[in-house]
Amino acid sequence: MIDPSWVAGLGVFLFCIGLWGAFTRKNAIIVLMSIELILNAVNLNFIAGAAQYGDATGWVYTAFAIAIAAAEVAIGLAIFLAMYSQHETISLDEVKLLKH
Amino acid sequence: MSKNMSKKAIFEREFSIVATLVVGAGALLLSFPLFFEEAVGEIDWITIPMVAFPILGSIILLALASQQPRGMKEKMAFPVKAASLGFSLFILAISSALFFGWLGSIDWTTLKINEYNMNHEYTWINSLGISWHVGLDGLSFPMLWLTTLIIPITMITTWEENSGWYHHPLLLLMEGSLIGVFVALDMFMFYVFWELTLIPMFFLILKWGGKDRRYAAQKFFLYTFTASVIMLLGLITLYFLQDPSQYLIDRGVLTGRTFSMIDMTNNAQMAANNGSVWLGESMQNALFLMLMLGFLVKLPAVPFHTWLPDAHVQAPTSGSMVLAGVMLKMGAYGMFRLPLTLFPHALAEYQYLLLAIGMISLVYGSIVCLGQTNLKRMVAYSSVSHMGIVILGIASMQPLGFAGAIFMMFAHGIISPMLFSVCGSFKHHYHTLEIGSTRGLAKASPFLGVYMMFSWMASLGLPLLAGFVAEITVLVAVWMTFGWWVLLPALVLVITAGYYLWSMQRTIFEGSGEVVLPEGMAVEDARDISPWENIGNLLMALLIVLFGVLPWIIWDMMSAYANAHFYFNMGGLLNLVAGGA
Amino acid sequence: MMEANELAILIPVLPILAMPVILFLGQLFNGNAKWKGFWKEGGTISTAVMAIVFLLSLWLIVGHVSAFSEGSDDAIVTDVGNWVSYQLFTEHGDMKAQDLGFGMQLDHVSVMLLFVASFLCLLISIFSMGYMNTDKINENRNHRFYAEFVLFCAGMFGMVLADNFLWLFIFWEIMGLCSYLLIGFYYERPSASYAAKKAFLTTRVGDVFLFVGLLIMHAEFGSWDFSVVFNAANIGAADAGLIKAMLLLMFIGAVGKSAQFPLHVWLPDAMEGPTPVSALIHAATMVNAGLYLVARMFPFFAAPAMAGELSDVALLIAMIGGITAFMAAAIAFVQKDIKKVLAYSTMSQLAYIFTGLGASLWFVNNGHDELAFFAFGASMFHLFNHAMAKGMLFMASGSVIHEMHHAHHHLEHSEGEHDEDDEDHFDAQDMDNMGGLASRMPITAIAMAVGSASIIGIPLIGGFWSKEGIVGSAWKAAMYDGGGLFIIPAILVLLTAGMTGFYMSRMWFMTFAGKPKTEVAAHVEETTPFIPIPLVTLTIMTLGGIIFAGLNFAGWLGENSSNLSLSHAPSHLWHEITHAFLALGSDGKIDPLILIITWTTILLSMVIGPFYAMSLYGGKLAKGQKAHWSIAWIVALSGRIHSSYKFDNSVWAESGLSTALRNRLYFDQWYDALMLKIVVPFSYAAAWFDRRIIDGVIKGIETGSQEASRNIRSLTTGSARDYIMMAALGTLALFLLIWGVA
Repeated sequence: MIDPSWVAGLGVFLFCIGLWGAFTRKNAIIVLMSIELILNAVNLNFIAGAAQYGDATGWVYTAFAIAIAAAEVAIGLAIFLAMYSQHETISLDEVKLLKH
Repeated sequence: MSKNMSKKAIFEREFSIVATLVVGAGALLLSFPLFFEEAVGEIDWITIPMVAFPILGSIILLALASQQPRGMKEKMAFPVKAASLGFSLFILAISSALFFGWLGSIDWTTLKINEYNMNHEYTWINSLGISWHVGLDGLSFPMLWLTTLIIPITMITTWEENSGWYHHPLLLLMEGSLIGVFVALDMFMFYVFWELTLIPMFFLILKWGGKDRRYAAQKFFLYTFTASVIMLLGLITLYFLQDPSQYLIDRGVLTGRTFSMIDMTNNAQMAANNGSVWLGESMQNALFLMLMLGFLVKLPAVPFHTWLPDAHVQAPTSGSMVLAGVMLKMGAYGMFRLPLTLFPHALAEYQYLLLAIGMISLVYGSIVCLGQTNLKRMVAYSSVSHMGIVILGIASMQPLGFAGAIFMMFAHGIISPMLFSVCGSFKHHYHTLEIGSTRGLAKASPFLGVYMMFSWMASLGLPLLAGFVAEITVLVAVWMTFGWWVLLPALVLVITAGYYLWSMQRTIFEGSGEVVLPEGMAVEDARDISPWENIGNLLMALLIVLFGVLPWIIWDMMSAYANAHFYFNMGGLLNLVAGGA
Repeated sequence: MMEANELAILIPVLPILAMPVILFLGQLFNGNAKWKGFWKEGGTISTAVMAIVFLLSLWLIVGHVSAFSEGSDDAIVTDVGNWVSYQLFTEHGDMKAQDLGFGMQLDHVSVMLLFVASFLCLLISIFSMGYMNTDKINENRNHRFYAEFVLFCAGMFGMVLADNFLWLFIFWEIMGLCSYLLIGFYYERPSASYAAKKAFLTTRVGDVFLFVGLLIMHAEFGSWDFSVVFNAANIGAADAGLIKAMLLLMFIGAVGKSAQFPLHVWLPDAMEGPTPVSALIHAATMVNAGLYLVARMFPFFAAPAMAGELSDVALLIAMIGGITAFMAAAIAFVQKDIKKVLAYSTMSQLAYIFTGLGASLWFVNNGHDELAFFAFGASMFHLFNHAMAKGMLFMASGSVIHEMHHAHHHLEHSEGEHDEDDEDHFDAQDMDNMGGLASRMPITAIAMAVGSASIIGIPLIGGFWSKEGIVGSAWKAAMYDGGGLFIIPAILVLLTAGMTGFYMSRMWFMTFAGKPKTEVAAHVEETTPFIPIPLVTLTIMTLGGIIFAGLNFAGWLGENSSNLSLSHAPSHLWHEITHAFLALGSDGKIDPLILIITWTTILLSMVIGPFYAMSLYGGKLAKGQKAHWSIAWIVALSGRIHSSYKFDNSVWAESGLSTALRNRLYFDQWYDALMLKIVVPFSYAAAWFDRRIIDGVIKGIETGSQEASRNIRSLTTGSARDYIMMAALGTLALFLLIWGVA
């Protein structure tokens, strides 16, 4: 088998990419994709853990995470659709309604 | 729809609303004892008639009036005012009956500390050890009676001011909360009512105040509230410092402790009898300071006094009368009830600090007073100055000083509303509060002139008026404890006379036969005070003379309390005197 | 006499009860013709009450005197009850119960004062009915006058009868209040309002010192009762230094109330009040309160425990007395207003009494009891004489002023013009507008002559008997070992005697002698009812001073255990005369010093002073005017001297000293400057400090918290990316925290 630490390492790598993307990208959909990347990276970490310790709990967490990620993407896309119809843009820099 | 209804229909609707509310409220009130377990079997004259009645009554009146359609609201002013006055007179009747001993056999002069007349307890929040515990003793009864006297007088004096339909019920609510403060024997209950008093006063200032009322109301509320929160911190600390194993009665099921003041006092006495300092010296000092801070801001003492001038100048007459007359005394009352009884060692420790605060309040207050040009501001600072005497009485640590301080609370509580009602009449009839903008008013408004002079003289401590007894007793005590420091208060007597006489000279006297009015006022508009103001002021004047010439009426119970306080604390103090110093 | 004792409480209480009655009825019936006519707007009530009180006082006095001469030693005491009871925590750790009570007592001094007070209150009430009610300016407000008047009388009676210092102080303050109200009676005049405030505040300064003195007394003795405080054993047990401090403080209070230097500035301004007020309060009763207080200090000086310790206090009292006497007399030299002359004369004469008391207290403190009693008696007798004479003088001056006013109005009316404002321009009190009134106002002229004679100290008339005693005692004290400094007040008092002779005569001659200086004076007539009654009564009383001398009144006043010698009056009278003129001591030998002093005083006051006055201001009456025979010869004499001995005083009149005196030695300017330039700006600064600095802290907190809130708000940029960053960093921080804790 593949050494689980490599899987976890891949997970970390993907996490960092996803984090960087969430911080720096303007386009809302790209940010959403980055967040998906983060979630998948976490999933990898769970799988690695499950493989390492032979514990099925890791698999359960993974299944949960996948389901929640899917739901979250649906809601996020709905919000962005509404945002676009209101403001004609999905650039996160231009929508500042919550500014004090 | 209301326009089409006939007068009869309107009356029927009103009557049915009133009847329902009264019956419902009455039933609720009368069943009150059934909902709570009674600890004592006598008739409780305090809880329902004096605390619940005004609060619920005012809420009923407010609800009643606010539900009327718009056109009727103005017409509600008179019945609401009359009802409020009626309620407050009823409460006055009960408290006077308590005073004269017509309701059961009551002796105010033989109570010891921690003994209370009309002592009733009902369990409330059992799990935390909070009970509805009321009682009166020689300290709280004068304050209670003062409240029940001042509120009706305030209502009478401000009867004619165009104040709408919820002014007098607010005063009634004020009365209920103030009475609650003075009868509370449970710390939680005390705090609840303490904060409750802020609310009607806030609205009184906000709704009927002067130009800067928003600022003044906010400042008043936030300043005193902040100080009260510190006091609350002290109270909760005190609560948690109780030893859970000491309780025999099943209170405080959850925490094992109780908020009852009686239990606290018993604990304090047990510790004192053992010769130890209750809760440890540093903790006692810290608690003392925390509690005192809350009370000193309320009193108000310099340097925590700056909320008072603004609050008074912006407040309407009724607000000022109640604020100066009763609310300030809550601070001093709280001092006696909590820190002075529970922490005698800390009092001895901070005696000179209190002396300093008292002296500064007294002297600084009067000097600043001299430099004021706004009449109400001047009277506000004179209140600060007089409350300094209360602090001096406490700092002297003599039974005479304590009794004198309590008497000053009472005397000032009658004199101060009169001072403010005079200012209010001045503003009402002459549209200004600037000293020096008028001359010779005594010609146009002789009654105003007479009442102004009378109340000014009472405030500066003229003998045979109520303020003199307080001043002389406190100063005797101050001489005995602090010696030549008493020259400063004596100096203040001159300054006080100075600013009062000077203000009279510049407002009601002079004029060379003509009445000099402020800008924009025609001579025909200058008229004397209304009959309602006249009656209110006359009542206050008579009370001031009564307690000046026959002070023993109320002095005896105050003196008994002060003496009992010393006997109570002497155990601890003797140990201090013999062992420490 | 038990009944008199029980009714004694009515003496102060009845006037107090009369006050609201008069006020209420006055308010109710204001403007009613009958109220103005028969009831004199309350004057009738006031006079009736005063008459009852006078009779009660007489009954009480007679009872006291007879009980005393029968050998009963105690002062008659009525104990009314407890006022305030309390306990004190002593330094021994126990509680001591005490109370403050109210009661009444009488001894010789208070008997004399009670008589003076009740008699003068009655007479002045009668006088007011004539004076106040016939003046248009007082119409419809006389009820206020009479109400304040009776309250004042109640205060005086209460003070005199009180048996403890607390109630003495209480009534003392009540009198101060009434003085304020009555001086400011014409409140619409800025000068009157100012004068009232000045009087109240100046006496208040004295009062607070008295107050502190009373606090010390309470601490040392545990009570304010005379019976406790005057007990020699208790005095011995108290701390001597504190007793001395207490006496000094009490003396300052007396200085304020009796208008002595340096708290004298209020008395001349107090003349703004109506003349009955000046007569009663500022001549005969209230200003005597200070003297009464000092007289009550006698037991402290007499106590064996304090022997020799209090000499400097006594000396101070005499010094203040001497300085004030001299200063006041000097200022009186240049006064044009008749009431001001009398005011300064009062100040001067009260100072005499202080000097006498000072000498007496010094004597008793140094063991010379006989001399002490003599001086004390002389001082108290002088108080008596002065009160009677000065009250009468003020009333007489009131009569003059009143008639001048009426004459002025008559003239204005008869000429057809009725200019209201003209009153301000014509000063009816200015002696430059008077003259020659001896023929037109005979009763007043005689009264004033007799009164002046009493004040000057003309032999055999009232004041003479007591004045000599005071001057002599002061000189005697100066001769004793340790009393050397008494020479200063002694000399001052001697000079003042001559000065008194001058300025009192000046006053009389400017007013009554010579030719009328204005047309108004030429039309004056004595027509007002009620006014002559008190004048005549008091004239007789003053002339009858010789009777009092014969009764050993001074001796009776001096020593509390002595008797009025009712049976030996003629022989005692001879004793007094020889004592006075020949300075025969108790051993029958002539004392040369006292002889010289006595005759010098007589010479100065009776001869030299009036002589100069006559030469400057005297003059024959106008053609066809004839004065009453009793004073006609004085006028004629003055005319003769005036025409023969021309005395040029222009050098004096235009000198800087004269200007300074006319400005009252600039004391008023100094005090006003102190108040307006120091105290008031200081208070403005304090008010600024409070508003800017103390409140500034609060405002600073407010501004600061608003700033902080604004700064924190800037975190909410509205940008989603920032929020993501914040969320991530926050999560990271939490993890680190939990990791750190675990």
